[in-house]
Amino acid sequence: MLRRSKVKSYISRFPRFENETLSMYYAPRMPKAMVRETEEVIALARKFNDEVARPVSLELDRKTHEDPDYLAVELSKKANEWGFYTLWIPKIFGGKGYNMPSLSYFLEEVGSVCVGISNVIGVHYLGVAATMMLSNTRIIRKVMSEVVEGEKTGEPCLISYCITEPAAGTDVEEVDLEAKGRLGCHAQKVKGGYIVNGSKIFISNGHLSTWNVVYAYTDLKRGADTKVALMVKKGMKGFSLGTHENKMGQRACPASVLNFEDCFVPDELVAVDTESLKFFTKKSPRDMNMRHIDYVFSLSRAAVCAFGIGAARGAFEAALKYANETEIDGKPMVTYEWVQCRLAEMYANVRLGRLAYQEANYANQHRGAYNLLQMKPIYYYLKFLPLAYFDKVISPLLDIPIATWILSKWYFDWQKQEDQHLTTGLASMAKFTGTDMGVKNCQMALELMGRAGLRQDNGAEKILRDAKLLQIYEGTNQLNRINLFKSIISPASPKATFFEE
Amino acid sequence: MLTALNNDLKPFEELIISYTKGELKPHVEEHDRYPFGNLDTDVIESGFHKIYDLGFMGIMLPEKYNGIGQGISAMCMMLGHVAEVDASYALIIFTSALSQQIIMNAEADGIAEKIYPNAQKAQEYLIAFPSFTNPGQATALPLASSSGKGYTLTGKLDYLVMGNFSKWAIIPARIAERQGYSFFLVDLNDKGVMKSDPIFSLGLHASPIIDVTFENVSVQLIGEEGAGERYFDTVSKKMHVATAAINAGIMRGSLKEAIEYTKEREQGGRPVINWSEVRMLLANMAIKTRVAELCVTQTCKAIDENLKDWGQISIASTLHVHEIACELVNDGVQVLGGNGYMKDYGQEKRYRDARQVQALLGLVPLKKLALIKEMIA
Repeated sequence: MLRRSKVKSYISRFPRFENETLSMYYAPRMPKAMVRETEEVIALARKFNDEVARPVSLELDRKTHEDPDYLAVELSKKANEWGFYTLWIPKIFGGKGYNMPSLSYFLEEVGSVCVGISNVIGVHYLGVAATMMLSNTRIIRKVMSEVVEGEKTGEPCLISYCITEPAAGTDVEEVDLEAKGRLGCHAQKVKGGYIVNGSKIFISNGHLSTWNVVYAYTDLKRGADTKVALMVKKGMKGFSLGTHENKMGQRACPASVLNFEDCFVPDELVAVDTESLKFFTKKSPRDMNMRHIDYVFSLSRAAVCAFGIGAARGAFEAALKYANETEIDGKPMVTYEWVQCRLAEMYANVRLGRLAYQEANYANQHRGAYNLLQMKPIYYYLKFLPLAYFDKVISPLLDIPIATWILSKWYFDWQKQEDQHLTTGLASMAKFTGTDMGVKNCQMALELMGRAGLRQDNGAEKILRDAKLLQIYEGTNQLNRINLFKSIISPASPKATFFEE
Repeated sequence: MLTALNNDLKPFEELIISYTKGELKPHVEEHDRYPFGNLDTDVIESGFHKIYDLGFMGIMLPEKYNGIGQGISAMCMMLGHVAEVDASYALIIFTSALSQQIIMNAEADGIAEKIYPNAQKAQEYLIAFPSFTNPGQATALPLASSSGKGYTLTGKLDYLVMGNFSKWAIIPARIAERQGYSFFLVDLNDKGVMKSDPIFSLGLHASPIIDVTFENVSVQLIGEEGAGERYFDTVSKKMHVATAAINAGIMRGSLKEAIEYTKEREQGGRPVINWSEVRMLLANMAIKTRVAELCVTQTCKAIDENLKDWGQISIASTLHVHEIACELVNDGVQVLGGNGYMKDYGQEKRYRDARQVQALLGLVPLKKLALIKEMIA
C-alpha cells in the first residue's frame, strides 16, 4: 500500500504515533521476568493488606483524630520488617532491586486499603528517586546503605523529599515560577560546605525520616539558577522538626515542618550545586534544575496516579460490598440496573486510570529514568548476579568521581529533551487523571451508600478524605494540566508561552 | 437573596449574622474536633442554648407553641447564614424543625403542647430525629407493640441526630401486622434506651449522632398508626429545600475564603488570583454559588405561593444544589492548595460537610427515581 519511508513519514507527524501508543511498542520489549516479579509484589501487597494494613487502617485514622500528635512509628517499623523500604532500591546500591514499575501496582494495591499507609511506603521512594536522580553516586551509595542497614537493625531509615516552603508551593515545581517565587530557604557557601537557613513545610514522612533531600538557594531572588541540593540527616546541628500538620486525611503519613537555623551541611553531603554541575555539563544550572525536577516528578506523579487508583478501587470495593449486602424494596440492591451501571462506571474508572500510570511507566522505562535499568541485558545482569558481587566488586567503584560523572552525563546531558518532555507530560496526565478518578469514585460511592458511607467505621468516608490530597501534592492537578500542555501538546501550538500570562 | 424578596426578614437576618459571627465563628475549629480530644462539651451545649434562647429553633413553629411562626423562606435564610460559618449548627436547627414539622403534620397538638411551651432548656425543646433516614427506605426499623395501655418499642435505630443530647426523640417504627410505619415520641432518658458512643462521621461533627437500641420502652404514638410515610413525605418535600439552603451557605463560605486567600497568596511573584486558571476555578465556584442561591430562593417562593408541583421543584432543585455543592467544595480546597487540606483553614471542613448534607433525608439515587415516578404517574 505505502512504502515504508512514507509510513515512517506519516506516523512521525504530530501527534507522533509511537509517543501516543507506548504500550503497543514497549510491552513486547519488557523482560519476561518483570511480569513474574510484579506478580510477586502484588501477592506481597495483598498479604500485607490482610495482616497489617486492613486491621490497623481505621484504628490509626481514629487514633490520630483523638491525638493529633500521634505518629505512626509502629507502622513504619512494620513496613521496614516486611522489607518494603529496600525492595525497589537497585541491587547496585544494596537493595533488592525489584523493577521500579512494579512499585506503582504495589502502591495501588495497598492504597486500595489505605492511601495513608501506602504513602508511608511510597513517599520514601520519592526520597529515593530524588536522591538517585541527583546522580551523585557516592551520596546515593552512602544513603542507600543506611536504608539497607536500617532494615537489618529494625530501625527504619527513610528518606524525605523537602521542597515546599511556607510561601512557595507550586513555585518550587517549575523553574519559571521558581525564578519569580517568594523563596525562603537560603544556602550560604562557606568553607567546607553550606549554611542553611529557612524552613520547609508539608514534608511527607518528615517526622519518620532519617535523611532529607533539601533544596535551598544561594540567591533567593534567583532561585531557579542558584539551587543547591543537600542531604540533611536527622540530628544534624541546626536542623529541627517543627509540628506536623492537622490534615483532613492520609493521617497515617505525617506532613511535617522542617526548620533550619544556621544548619551547616558539609561538602560531602552536597549532592549538586552550580559548581558541581560544571564537572559534567556546559548547560545552564536552570536547565539542569528543571531536568532534575522533571525526572523526579515523572516517577512520583505516576506513583500518585497509582494512589489515586487505589482510592478509586477502595471506593468501588466499598460500594460493591454495600450493594451486595443491602436490599431495596425487598430485592438485593445489585439486581437494579441503575446500581449495576454505577458500579460498572466506577470499575471502568479504576481500569482506565491504571492504563494512565502504565503508559507513564512505559515512558519512564524506555524514554526516562528507568531506561538504564530496564535494558534487557542490564536488567538480567542486575537480577541474577548475587548481591555480594555488587557489594564487593561494584559498590566501591561508586565512590570514584568518574561514576558520578557517567551517571550525571547519562541522565542530564545525553538524554534527549524530547524524551523527557514525553515522560513528564505523561506522568502529569496520569497524575491528574488517576487522582480525579479517585475523588470521583469516592463521591459516587457515598451517593450510593447514603448515611452508611458517612460513618468512619465503615471506611468509605475516609477514602474521600484521603483522596483529596492526591489532587494537590506532587503539583496541583492544574499545574499538571499545564505541564501536559507544555510538554506534549505545545509543539502543535508554536505561539504558546508558559507562566507568563 | 431571600431577604431581597421578603423585606420582613431583614431584622431577623441581621440578628442571625451577628450571632454567627459573634458566637459561632470563634469556636468552629474547636467544635469540629467533637467527639475527640479534651473538648468541653459544655461549649457545644451552650451553643445549642444560645440558638434556643434566640428562638431560632422555633422559627417555623406556630406562635401558640411559643414559636416564631415563620415559613420556609425564613428557615432557609437562617440556615444559609449559619451554614456559611458552621454547618453543624444548621443541622441542629434543621433536625429540630424536622421534628416539629412531623408533629404539626400529624396534628399531634397534645404532644406539641406537652413539649414546646413547657420546655425550660434546649435539651427539652430540641427533639432528636434520624434526619439522614427516609424511614420508608430503611430495611429494618424498631418494632412497636400495643399493650392496650399504650405502645412499647423494641429494636435498633441507626444514626439518630442529637440522640445523646435531647430528652425527646421522634422514632419511626413498624407495628406488627400493619402496613407502613408510624412515628412515636420517645423519652431518651428512659432506662430501656441504650445509646452508643457518638459516631465519628465525615462531617458536621458538632452535631452529635448516635445509634440507639430500645428495649420495651413506653412510647407515645404521633398522629395515626401507619401514617408515618404520609407525614414524612409531605414534610420531606418542604424540608428538602432547607438542606439545599445549608449547602448554599457552605458554598458561599467556600467561595469567600477562596477569594480572600487567592488575593493574599502569591505564586510566580504575583497574587494567585491573577492567574487565569485560578480565576476560571473561582468563576465556576461563583456561578454555582449564584445558581444555588437562585434554586433556594425560587423554591421557597414556589412553596410559599403553593405553586403547582412545588414538591417536585423542591426535590429537583435540592438535588441539583447538592451536586454542584459537592463539586464546588472540592475546588474550594483546591484553590488553597496544601493549605486548603489543613484544619487551620475552613475549606476541608466544608468539603466534608457538603457531602454529609447531601445525604440528609435519604439516598440520593432513590430520590431521583421517586421524583421521576411521581412525574410520570
